[in-house]
Amino acid sequence: MGRLVLRRLLATVPVLLLVTAGVFTLIHLTPGDPIDVMMSESADATVKENLRRELGMDQPIYVQYATWMGRLLRGDLGHSIRNREPVIENVGKRIRPSLQLAGLAMAISLIIATPIGILSAARRNTSVDRVGTSFALFGICMPNFLLALLLIFFFGVKLRWLPISGYTDPLEEPWLGLRSLVLPAITLGLALAAVVTRTLRSSMLEALSEDYVRTARAKGLSEWRVIRGHVLKNALIPVVTVLGLQLGTLIGGAVITEYVFALPGVGRLVVDAVFARDYPLVQGVVLLIAVGFILSNLLVDLLYGWIDPRIRYR
Amino acid sequence: MTAPPVRERRWVVLRHAARTRLAPLGVVVMLAALIVAVLAPIVSPYDPLKQDLGNVLAKPGRAHLLGTDNVGRDVLSRVIWGTRVSLVAGLGSVAIAVMAGGLLGLLAGYAGGQADGLVMRLMDAVLSFPPLVLALALGAVLGAGLTGVVIALGVVYTPTFARLMRGQVLTITAREYVEAARALGAPGWRIAWHHVLPNAMAPIVIQASLSVAFAILAEASLSFLGLGIQPPGASWGSMINAGRGYLQQAPWIVFGPGAALFITVVGLNFVGDAVRDALDPRLRA
Repeated sequence: MGRLVLRRLLATVPVLLLVTAGVFTLIHLTPGDPIDVMMSESADATVKENLRRELGMDQPIYVQYATWMGRLLRGDLGHSIRNREPVIENVGKRIRPSLQLAGLAMAISLIIATPIGILSAARRNTSVDRVGTSFALFGICMPNFLLALLLIFFFGVKLRWLPISGYTDPLEEPWLGLRSLVLPAITLGLALAAVVTRTLRSSMLEALSEDYVRTARAKGLSEWRVIRGHVLKNALIPVVTVLGLQLGTLIGGAVITEYVFALPGVGRLVVDAVFARDYPLVQGVVLLIAVGFILSNLLVDLLYGWIDPRIRYR
Repeated sequence: MTAPPVRERRWVVLRHAARTRLAPLGVVVMLAALIVAVLAPIVSPYDPLKQDLGNVLAKPGRAHLLGTDNVGRDVLSRVIWGTRVSLVAGLGSVAIAVMAGGLLGLLAGYAGGQADGLVMRLMDAVLSFPPLVLALALGAVLGAGLTGVVIALGVVYTPTFARLMRGQVLTITAREYVEAARALGAPGWRIAWHHVLPNAMAPIVIQASLSVAFAILAEASLSFLGLGIQPPGASWGSMINAGRGYLQQAPWIVFGPGAALFITVVGLNFVGDAVRDALDPRLRA
């Protein structure tokens, strides 16, 4: 296992370097002078020059990259142009709602997808299966911003059961906090549930056709015990992989969901930074999200090796 | 046994695709979207930009089948013109990704060595960003508008095609007919163009057909956030965003473009699934 961890960690290093180079280049892709784009045209020339010097944009590009990397290695991701606060502090303030949203969305997706996926596979080609596969198709094709608005319309506007925007920290006010996160978490969790349902169904169908299932049935085990004891355990491995692969979708979905429900998370921070043309903040947050994404994928890779011992010895 | 000629194989594939249960429905939706997009100036009942302040938030009725928005513009006409934007974004970004990814994958797989390592690490780096976050960041620097969104989404989808193409090239270059072409003295570019590329296209076509639906969804998401086509231009995502403030008084502003988006994506998914089933021999049995 130690060798697997080391191998995976080493493989991430060049990717991380390329990611930093990509994020650094981002600001230089701006057509025209990025300083003009960041500040209004009427801004004072001295103020513009000061910002240019502050961001090191008066230096040759390789010097700028080296300086930026040096600062990165010391944990300095730069400062927001808008509130002058370090990027890391901006993210630190916003990370909690995002993690709570992602955690709840993942839990909801598993609660929905597990029974539907199992029933769809166990009752293949019946009306139960058709309902399950239709649900999966619906979840995959439904844009999450549209689903968010439909949920707001029915549960917020028509029935008035749940708040339609805003955030209360569930760690401070559990009931109100949970209520404020339910609609965003369903929005985010449903698309994930659709993908997990499809994966679980197909991996269960594969496992159901294996010889050991036939043997278990021949021994006289009930169908439920066959599924629980023999099929489900083997079918869950691809589901873990898919959950890992869907992290990117979850983060992307969180950007939209936080925007629609006015949740003060990292996703909302990216959108706000983009529209405020706060490029140092965009750069810093995108880099942090990418590094978080790479590390989560690494974790899923290692988890996969832990669940399935065959992977470790490859 | 000899392989059937290419034209005959195409018919076999098309017949298989058409036999898939939901494929005809998908094709109808796709054709309808294409026709509406091309004929938008003819089929659109009103000018999509024309405001009628005496007729704001009008309910769906005979005069306006999908109602009017907050400045009295006809929602149906805007949905019709929005079809153009969605299809251009979906098809344009996937075309960029197929060309860029295909060429990069071909280069990586065919050249091997350092070129392969460099291209694939570059693709890994692009894949390290959550797709929507990368598209958002690229869209931000390229500027709001359809061109920026199409390029941003093209970049986001490029690694998928590069990886697919590279895998195909590695498999195909090990085949005997490529060995034979090499032995006959065919130059590298000729082998790549005449032998490798045509045989590597099946999974690329499958992926492309599935990607168009997701690219349309991604464009709508970016437009919803305000990065796509700018007001007063009509795109489904921006219409839904503009309508969310009127959800209580005039939900039709959201539901019209929302239904168009959902139906188009479902239809394209049916077509994509049918193409995949027809081209993948393992699924054909």
